Order: sequence, then C-alpha cells, then structure tokens
Amino acid sequence: MSLEAAPLDMKTQVPAKQPDSPWRIAIRRFTRNRLAVIGLLILVVMVLFCVVGPWFSPYDLLEYDVKNKKNLAPNAEHWLGTDKLGRDTLLRLMLAGRISLLVGLVATAISILIGATLGALAGFYRRFADTIIMRIADVFMALPTLPILIIMGAILSDLKVEPKHRVYFLMLILGVLGWTTIARLVRGQILTLREQEFMQATEALGLRDRRKIFRHLMPNTIPIIIVTATLGVAGAIIAESALSFLGIGVVPPTPSWGNMITSANSLIDFRRRPWLWIPPGMCILITVVAINLIGDGLRDALDPKMKK
Amino acid sequence: MKQYIIRRLLQMIPTLIGISILVFAISSMVPGDYITAKNSPSMTAEKKAELRAIYGLDKPPVERYFTWAGNMAVGNLGDSLQHKQPVTKVINTYVWNSFIIAFFSLIFSWIIAVFTGVLSAKFQYSFFDKMVTLLVFLCMSLPSFFIGLLLIKVFALELGWLPIGGMTTAGSKATGWGYFVDVLEHSFLPILVLTMISTGSLTRYFRTSMLEVIRQDYIRTARAKGLKERTVIFKHALRNAMLPAITLMGFELPALFGGAIILEKVFVWPGIGQVYLESITVRDYPFMLGFTIFLAVLTLIGNLISDVLYGAADPRIRLK
Amino acid sequence: MKKRMSLLLAIMLLTISVLAACSGGTAEEPNQGDEGTQQETPNTNEGENTEEPPAEGEDESQGYFEAEDPAANPDTAKNRTDTLIVGMTSPKGVFNPYFWQTAYDKYVVNTVFDTLLEVSGDGTYTESLAESVEVSEDGLTYTYKLKPDVKYSDGTPVTMNDYLFAMKIMLDPKYDGESDMMSLNIVGADEYKNGDATEISGIKVIDDLTVEVTVTEATAVTRDYLGDVALLPESYYGKDFKKGDMDSLKAMHDKPVGSGPYVMTKFSPGQEVVFEANENYFKGAPKIKNLVYKTTTEETRLPMLQSGEIDMDMITVSEDNVEEVKMMGFIDLNIFPTNGYGYVAFNHNLEKFQDQKVRQALMYGLNRAEIVESIYGIYANPLNIPESSVSWAYTDEDVEAYEFDPEKAKALLEEAGWAAGADGTLEKDGEKFTIDFSATADNPVVEALLPIMTANYQDLGIEIKAETLDFNAIMDKKDQGNFEMFFAAWGLTPDPDNTVYITDGAQNDTGYSNETVDKLMKEGKMNLDGPEARAGIYKQMYQEMNKDLPNLFLYQRRDGWAINSRVNGLDITAYKDFPFSLYQAELEQ
Repeated sequence: MSLEAAPLDMKTQVPAKQPDSPWRIAIRRFTRNRLAVIGLLILVVMVLFCVVGPWFSPYDLLEYDVKNKKNLAPNAEHWLGTDKLGRDTLLRLMLAGRISLLVGLVATAISILIGATLGALAGFYRRFADTIIMRIADVFMALPTLPILIIMGAILSDLKVEPKHRVYFLMLILGVLGWTTIARLVRGQILTLREQEFMQATEALGLRDRRKIFRHLMPNTIPIIIVTATLGVAGAIIAESALSFLGIGVVPPTPSWGNMITSANSLIDFRRRPWLWIPPGMCILITVVAINLIGDGLRDALDPKMKK
Repeated sequence: MKQYIIRRLLQMIPTLIGISILVFAISSMVPGDYITAKNSPSMTAEKKAELRAIYGLDKPPVERYFTWAGNMAVGNLGDSLQHKQPVTKVINTYVWNSFIIAFFSLIFSWIIAVFTGVLSAKFQYSFFDKMVTLLVFLCMSLPSFFIGLLLIKVFALELGWLPIGGMTTAGSKATGWGYFVDVLEHSFLPILVLTMISTGSLTRYFRTSMLEVIRQDYIRTARAKGLKERTVIFKHALRNAMLPAITLMGFELPALFGGAIILEKVFVWPGIGQVYLESITVRDYPFMLGFTIFLAVLTLIGNLISDVLYGAADPRIRLK
Repeated sequence: MKKRMSLLLAIMLLTISVLAACSGGTAEEPNQGDEGTQQETPNTNEGENTEEPPAEGEDESQGYFEAEDPAANPDTAKNRTDTLIVGMTSPKGVFNPYFWQTAYDKYVVNTVFDTLLEVSGDGTYTESLAESVEVSEDGLTYTYKLKPDVKYSDGTPVTMNDYLFAMKIMLDPKYDGESDMMSLNIVGADEYKNGDATEISGIKVIDDLTVEVTVTEATAVTRDYLGDVALLPESYYGKDFKKGDMDSLKAMHDKPVGSGPYVMTKFSPGQEVVFEANENYFKGAPKIKNLVYKTTTEETRLPMLQSGEIDMDMITVSEDNVEEVKMMGFIDLNIFPTNGYGYVAFNHNLEKFQDQKVRQALMYGLNRAEIVESIYGIYANPLNIPESSVSWAYTDEDVEAYEFDPEKAKALLEEAGWAAGADGTLEKDGEKFTIDFSATADNPVVEALLPIMTANYQDLGIEIKAETLDFNAIMDKKDQGNFEMFFAAWGLTPDPDNTVYITDGAQNDTGYSNETVDKLMKEGKMNLDGPEARAGIYKQMYQEMNKDLPNLFLYQRRDGWAINSRVNGLDITAYKDFPFSLYQAELEQ
C-alpha cells in the first residue's frame, strides 16, 4: 500500500501541468466503467421521470372517481391502472418518486455524513474521543425508535408545522437516527487502517491530523460506506411510509413509493391487483440497483490498487 | 486486554444510567397513557383518576423515575399493565420463541453470506455476481411481509407442504420428537424469510470487504507462494475481511432477542416483537421500559464483544 | 438498523390489519389495528333490543350467507371431528371476569365463567345463572335468585356468597380492573371502598341462592348492570384474599375456574388456549368435546380458514374479503353492523365551528358515500345519527340524510357569512377558512378520507391541512382541547346512554353543548319504563343531533364471522358474542 491510497491535497494539484491527478484518473476510470455509467443514466432518467413526467399526465393529483374507475386494470387511458379511489397509478408513481428519491438520498446522505465523520474521529483518536463518541452511539442504539417518532410527530403537530414541510424533518430524523451503524463500521475500519504502513508514512511526513483522516484514512473506507449507503436508500424509502403514519412524513393524498406499496397490502391485492404494487416496487428496485452500480463504479474509480 | 474489558464494563454503568434517564424521559413525553389508550366511553372521570393512582401514573415524572430505577436496581421491573404479570415473566414467556427463529436464521444467513459474498467477490462482475446482486436488491425493495405472504401462498396454500402459521398445530398434544417436528415445520417459513432478509445486506458487506482484501499485496504473495486458492481465500483473505463483519456481529446480539415484528405477524409466531410493539401502542410503560432496558444491556454487551474481537482479528488494533 | 426498520414497517402493518376485534360489546371501536386494545367494559351489555335485524335477502350487506359448496371442505377440517378451532388475536392471559384487559381475554372469560344475567341475540338480558330477578316498587331493591344445584368445574357449588365475593373484589380500594361498580350507587359501597367498613351494607346474602342489593338511586341500566356479574368460586380464588391486596388473585389469572360450558386445560401465550367440555354444564353438556382458541393475525385469517387450520374467525368485512370467502365455497358468513361509528370531531370552542350552518355545510360538502364505498364497498354506509342501525333506539324518521350536495354546502356557507377571497379561499372578517385536520393513522378509512375531503373542501373554498397521527397523540390533543378537527371512531354501548354529547360529560372533549340534548339524555337515563318508553325520548334526541351535528357522522361498517359450514348451531349477533352459544354448537360429521 502506498501514499497513492488517497487523493493528494488540492493545493498541490495544478491541473494544467498534472493531467493525471487522482481525481482525473478517478473520473476517467468511472466513465470507462460501462456499468457505472449505465447506473448514472438510469438514475438521471428516473429523476426526470419523476420531476418532468407529471407535466405530461392528463390527470390531477386531487382527482378521484370511486364510482367509475375503482381498481381498474392497466388500460389505454390508465397505463398502469387505477387504485381504489380511481386515481391514475402512473401519475401517482411519478409524484411519489419525487418524495421517495428525495427522502432516500438525503436521509442516507445525512446519516453517512454524521456516521462516517464521527466514526473516523473515534477510530483515529481512540481513547477519550472513542469512549465519548462510541458511548453516545451506544445510547442512540439503545433508544426506542418508535416512541421517539411518536413524540416527534406530536411536537410537529403542536407546532403546527405545515404537513407539506414535514418531509424535511422526516429526512433529518431518519438521517439522525441511522448514523450509528455506519459510525461503528467506519470506526472499525479506521482502527485497523491507522496501524498500516502508509499511515506511518504520513506520520513521517508530519501531516496534520485533519489531512490524515480525511485525505488518507476515509477514502479507504469508501467501499463500506457505499454498501451502507445503497442498503440505506432502500431502507429509507420504505421507512418513510411508516413515518407518515406518525405525523412526520407525507400525508395522503401525497403519494410516496413506500405508501403506495403498503396500501396494497393484503394477499388479495397481492394476487389480483399487481399493478398497485409492482410499479412502485420496481421503481425502488431500479433506483437501488442504479445507486449500487454507481457505487461500485465509484469504488473502483477511487481504488488506487486497480491499475488499468 | 483484561484491563480494557474491565474498564468498558465500568463504563457501562454511567451509560446505562444515561440510557435509563433518556428512555424514561421519552416514555413520559409520549402523548397519552394506559388509560387514554383504552378510551373507554363508559369510564367516568373518577374511575380514570382511581386507575391512574393505582398504577402510579398520577405522580410527577421525577418521582416515578426514582421509584422505577430503584426497583430496577434490585431486579424488579414491575408488573405489565396489560398482562398483569411481572415484566420479567412476560419477557421470559415470549423471548425464547423469538430467539429460536433469530438464532437459526443468524446461523444460516452468516454461512450463506460468507460463501456468496466471497464467491461474488472472487468472480466480480460474473453472471453469478450479477444475479446475487439483483436478488439481494429485489429482497430489499419489497417489504418482508410481501415475501412472507408469497411464500405462504405457494408453500402452504397451493402446495400444502407447510402450515400457514403458529408454532404448533392447534390442540396438538405431541411431546418429544413429535413436538420437535411440529415446531420445525412451523418455523421453516419464518426462518427462511428472516434468513433471506438478513442475508442480503450481509452478502454485500462480505463481498465488499473481500474485494478490498484480495487486491492487496500479501494475497498476491500468498498466491505466488503457490498456496492453494481455497487456502488463500478462506484462510488469509477472509480473516482480514472480517472486520466489518465483526461490527455487524455485535449488532446481532440485541437482534437475537428483539423479535421480528412483521414476521411474527405474518406467520403468527408467538414472539416478543409483537408484545413489545403492542406495549408501545397501548402505553404499557412498565413493559415498554423494562424491555427497552433489557435490549439496551444486550446492545452494550454486543458492541463490547465486537470491540474485543477486533483485536483477535487484527492484532495490530490496540484498544486501550 | 434492521430492527429499526422492522419496527417501522410494523406500524404500517397495524394500519393494514383492520379492526376485527370488537363485537357485541361496547366501548371504543378498536381503531388500533387488530390488537384488541380497545375493550368492551364489563357490565355494560344492558340494551333491550326489540328490533329484528333485517331479514336475509333484504340487504346484501348484512345477514347470514350460507356456504355454497360445503363439499369443498378441506380434509384438515373434516377429519377434526371432535374439536372446534376458533381463530382470534392472541389473548393476554388475564382470564378473570373482573380483570380482563382485551376483548380476546374476554372471549376466554365468557367461555369459562357464567353471569347471573346474560345478553341474548336481540340485545336484551335473560337469566343465565339466575333463576329470577325481582325489582322493588321504588326500583331501589334488587333480588336475584340463583338456579339450584349448579356446580363449578372443581365440584364446589355456586352460591350467592360468591356474588358478595365478586362485589368485594370490584369495590376493593386496590381493584384495578375496569368494572365500575361505584357508578351503580350501591348502599355502603363508598364506605367499603374508601372507608374501614369490612362489609358492604347494601348487599345482603339472604341464603345460598338469594342475594338482595339496595341502591340509593336507580337508572334504566341498574338491573342488568347488577346482574351481569360473573360468579367464581370463593373457595378457590378467596383462599388468600384480603381487602386491599390483589396479588393473590393475580397469580390465578391464567388458571381460571368457573361454571361455564368449557374448562380451560392449557394456555400457551401467543399460541393457543385449549378447553375441554364441562360435562356438568348446567345448560347441558356441550356437544363439541374439544375447543381451541388459536392465535391468528389479519394476514393469516383467510388463508387459515381456507386450509382448514381454523374453523371460524372474525374477518374484516370488505368487498375483497367477502368475495374471497365466498369463493372458498365452504365458509358461512355472518355479517352484522358494527357497534360503533367513524366520525370527524369539531372543536366547538372555535368560532368557525360554532355556527350550525357551517357544520351542516361541511356535512353536505363531503362525499361520505364515496369514502366508505372505496374502502368497504357496500359493507358500510354513511351514518346520520350516532346510533347503530340495529339498536332499539335507532331512528331514521325525520332525519336528514345529508346526501353529497356541494351547491347546498356553498349556499349554507354564504348564509353563514363566508365569502370567497382573492385567492378563492373563503374568508370572514379577514380570517381565512382553513382547517387543521388530524386523523388516527391506524384506520384504513383515512386513506380515502383525506384525499376526498381535501378535494371536496377545496371545491368549497376551504383549505384542509391534514396530518395523520398516532391514536394516543390525537386523544391527548383532544384532552387538551388543542385541535381543530380530527377523525376517530367511537364504539357504542347497547344502551344509548353516554356522556359523549352532554355538556361537560366525562367523554365530551370537544366542547359541545346543547340544552335539548342534555335534557333528553338525562330523561332517557332516568326512565325506568323500559325500552319502548325510552325509545321515544332518544328519537327526539337523535333528531336534534342530526340537525345540530355535534360531529360529522361518517359511517357505520360491518363486522363478520366467517364460519366453516361444518359448524352448526352458533347464534352470533351484533350484541351476542360467540362464546354464549358455544354449548349448543355442533360439528357436522
């Protein structure tokens, strides 16, 4: 293992003279990774589908028609059928994506950011910092999630926070509650990384702690962070729908992929009305796979040991 | 190392006190109590006040905390309001049922995850790897109750091979071997689903760690030495890929006893998860608090074990 | 992380699993999923129903539907010739008639114990353990006589000393069950409960078979209330009983001994309760020898009925479920109106809701028919008075049906002084018409109510800010008066008397006050001339409520039992739970 393990300091980069800076190499490697590019494309298409798509729909979110359109199978007018209120599944699917993608990505980003930073600090400094941070993590892991969420819901309700703004709190709450796993994982990695030879080299070079941590140690934990992130996105998308029941997430009629799946919940819906749950399920699947492909590409691109 | 363990055990005391204060504060902030949860239309105001007094819900939170914490210190978690039995007894009644399911699925999912994870890494981007990846994400994109319902439909209703739910056949008087087979049949599906769910993420972690390790110089060296591939992978590489796994292993301890709420519902398994969830919805504080603390202790121990195991996996790690 | 997620997902499942708990009883409709947390309170089944439920065929949404293809019965069920398996949500193990905590504990209690009077199919009370009941002229003294030679399953005779013992438990200062004997005004009860008295002076055991109870003030429900007391052997339960100490009873909660049709032999928490027939049952030995209450969940009820693993269970009555059950072919369906209703409460302390016209406008302007149609299909109907359609107190005479009529709603709002502002939202005195709306998350109707209400009211120019909240969080808001509108469900007692709508009533947290309602409710309660006389009073009261609208009354849905066609002889109605007819049930061989 060598110093290459991490990208060099920005200040030392003079792009014009050094065309092969680690970042450039990384970008080049990423774009050469066919699967990763496909992943990125899928994600972009998915975002466009959800953001732009609803403009082309002839239907309106508030529109319902129980009498004539309840539970229609996919047909020429409703490509993905209708739900039990006679609403167009396709339109709901696209609108739902806005919420779910946002929640999935942001909530995961928050917990990764908090978790990875704290985990790295704990692993690097050990002793006192480790004790404090990890005991806080212990406490967080021991707290009962559901009652906390109920309290949050009640507080948001008492403060009369507009229901449509609550989704931001939702992302924050999911993010804050989810940091402990990644913190412990990153810490574990750092504990072993910091004992490796390349770190002795940074010691010898007299680098500052901050640079040691963020430029040399953290990049090596990226693979594990990426796995946690891809798993986390799917988890957050599904968890979102549960939280709305407690007054934190989105409220009907606003759809989300999670609440679309869970509202088709009986064995009967499962068997007879697959158009209610397959589309949102597929969307989550596609999103997660895309993020995973991107993640794999990123990992390979940032990995100095891969020499192509 | 011994010193480290002792110090960590001592640290558990203030941590637990902190947790108990926080958990209690949370429980007293949660809107409603056991009486409002009943919302009985014929209950008079006097009767409500009377019940609150008997349950001790009318006292100020600080006083209640000290009563509760004091009793807990001598091992008394109080009586569950809904079960009218000591909390410890209720936990003991249900927790072992959850443990059976969790234990076996833990074993299976770790074994499967190690092999698929390692193979996925070894043959990165192969057809096998891609299929495993897709399967893992498929399991994650659908809620577990869907997977459970699907399996019930196929194995119990259409093929009729397995019972739908419960832990034993209703009214069965079987003992010994007969009982064992009965429970085995009933536990097959829940264990299968739980294994499917937990294997997915584990596989991803193993694959990633292996990918990291097999590219390192010493693996190349080992291969160059002419060691058998199997020895290289499972002896040299896997050991060093274990670190994230050890962290995750620590999380498994509370999970073993925490119950799997959804599966318990889908398969009518008499586990503790549902009992816990219900204690929250009906505000059965003694049980809710008692069980939360029980899990907290397990969480702390689990994390301690994984910290100790780091040193075993990588002797360079020196936790002091 | 894994556990966190599963806990969250479980909340969703709670919503999914719908309300199959409460039947024939009272109290809050179990709107916390099928966990059965909303209980019937003991001793409230005192209605006297004189109205026949609609005959079969008249109304497709209720009645008894025979299986069409009994031959399709799976072998699993057919081969079980001497055992009946009833599916239900798991009982908690508090099998004591004075302490039970969930409706499912109560099923076990009703199987193992008998009461002096018990409810019959039409909601009236008939003698069970009691031979006769006499009420004195002034209505203050009640004499109950016991049938002779009845024995508990442990062989000891049933005597009225056990009645006194029961009362001593329920009036004990440390008694933490839900029965409220204090509300019956028994002479000497207060001295016993809150004083040093060692006996209750108003309860006299004349001989082994006779007890005389004196009260200071009688109401329409006193006779049935006092008679709906289960008897249990003092010789077994009273061994270590002392006033002020309930602990000795607690140890026996899961080992009940009573005089009922079945004797409990085994309780496996979370799995099953096993019973054996009581051969000496005083109404005749039960025809089915073995009985099992097997735990089921919303997800597994139908599959287990289909596979024959259970013989009967209470199902959520929706179009899907009914169709599914009918397709199985070998399952009978017994569908009846739920004893409860869904409603949207107004905060009457807010000025905007004080105008009757506004409340009427909100009723006309909401498409209630489509809300219930989308969730329950034909198995629910919009409701216009807060009373069950099978109650003797029910009326539809001179009751406005509030059919969906946005134009009428707009006209009423205009009359009330609300006019459209610049952005189309209604305004009055500079105040915009917006409504903060909370709905209990765990009710399936929310999924249709919120979208439809939002759209309907937007059309009227009213903005709805909707949220879903944990049930208890809403109850808490209600207690504090910190809400504008919320959606929840009430359970109904068979007797129409309640405190939900009277000024400052114990259950009235919405600030509603109407002198006419207060007066009529009191008259109805104090009238001792029986249901026919009382019905006239309640009719007037409901007509007033229908006009004045203390709530937006939303819907009454249906409860239903799915019963394997090989089971005959059960008699289940909205008022009478299945355990009461178990002793006469038979299995077709």
